[in-house]
Amino acid sequence: MAAPANDFQPQITVLYCRQCLSADAQPFEGRRPGQGFAAQLVLLPCSSKMQVHNLMRILEKGVDGVQMVACPEESCQHLVGSLRAEKRLNRAQDLLRQAGLASERLGLHRGQGLSLESVLELASQRAEAVRPLGPNPLKGVNR
Amino acid sequence: MITAEWKPIPELVGYLRGHQKVLLLGCATCVAECAAGGEREVETMAPLLRMALAKEGSPVEIVTGTLERQCEPEFIEPFAPAAEGVDAIMSLACGIGMQLLAERFPQIAFYPGVNTTSLSLREAPGLWTTRCAACGDCVLGETFGLCPVSRCAKSLLNGPCGGTRASGSCEINEDTPCIWNLIVERAKVRGQLDRLGAVRRPKDWSNSPAGGPKRMLREDLRP
Repeated sequence: MAAPANDFQPQITVLYCRQCLSADAQPFEGRRPGQGFAAQLVLLPCSSKMQVHNLMRILEKGVDGVQMVACPEESCQHLVGSLRAEKRLNRAQDLLRQAGLASERLGLHRGQGLSLESVLELASQRAEAVRPLGPNPLKGVNR
Repeated sequence: MITAEWKPIPELVGYLRGHQKVLLLGCATCVAECAAGGEREVETMAPLLRMALAKEGSPVEIVTGTLERQCEPEFIEPFAPAAEGVDAIMSLACGIGMQLLAERFPQIAFYPGVNTTSLSLREAPGLWTTRCAACGDCVLGETFGLCPVSRCAKSLLNGPCGGTRASGSCEINEDTPCIWNLIVERAKVRGQLDRLGAVRRPKDWSNSPAGGPKRMLREDLRP
């Protein structure tokens, strides 16, 4: 059963491309508490490293939302990396919808020159997007 | 390659509802090449089904594996221990691999995870198009290497129907070339257009799937 909304602290996994960060931003990996949510930041060499099964596995572990952060399409260092990431995310969302699960638990933002704070702000936005859905029903069920 | 596509997720969930422990098995050959039943697809489908089943209150333990080839008994045998203790097996292999798997474990409930759809070519990344219908009486030698049986919507053998579009596409799908248009164009390039005017012998459909289950026997290869 979903916890009352005011007790619900969404856990958000942020998969972000290191090329999205500004030159002076310090890449960070690990947990960061936020206001009303908690973020787990995962740094990727390119957003295209993420595959559909990675997203499914993360959700299955009970994470409430996944926020991907990719480069703008025209400035991807791997040319088509961020485009592939977007297509994979769309595929994962489609599969979730077919399975009767909330596709809003996955989201993608394109950005460049981001600070770590702005990456956390994106996590906060994902937390607000999933808050109406309540906790992931798989929370605590799977490994 | 043999191509396959995932069955609708609700159908798969329906199969597994009520089971306790399921073995989801992929195949690393054809269905992996067409991104339907390889290891990636197994590891995508398994969590998706676990989540869908848990959400509706009927959680199922799903263990996974991917065989090199499900259509060869030698590759199935090492997975026999993984089938112990499961009350259902779902396969993402083609219909051939599926049946060998079901035959090996007849005591366990068996479900298909994909629909086997065609013998196709990966024409471009993410695009597979049919090239063969396994009709049992190949006509490629008469049609300049282009198959009208599998690539014509009507399997016409004596030229195009009246529905070829001005663009050279089939009347039923703009994205599908009229194979007879391609055959004629290739005949022109070869300077052998007259060959298409030859009267061909009736095609022997008795060797096709329409002729009943195929049984191919080679005595020289028998033990």
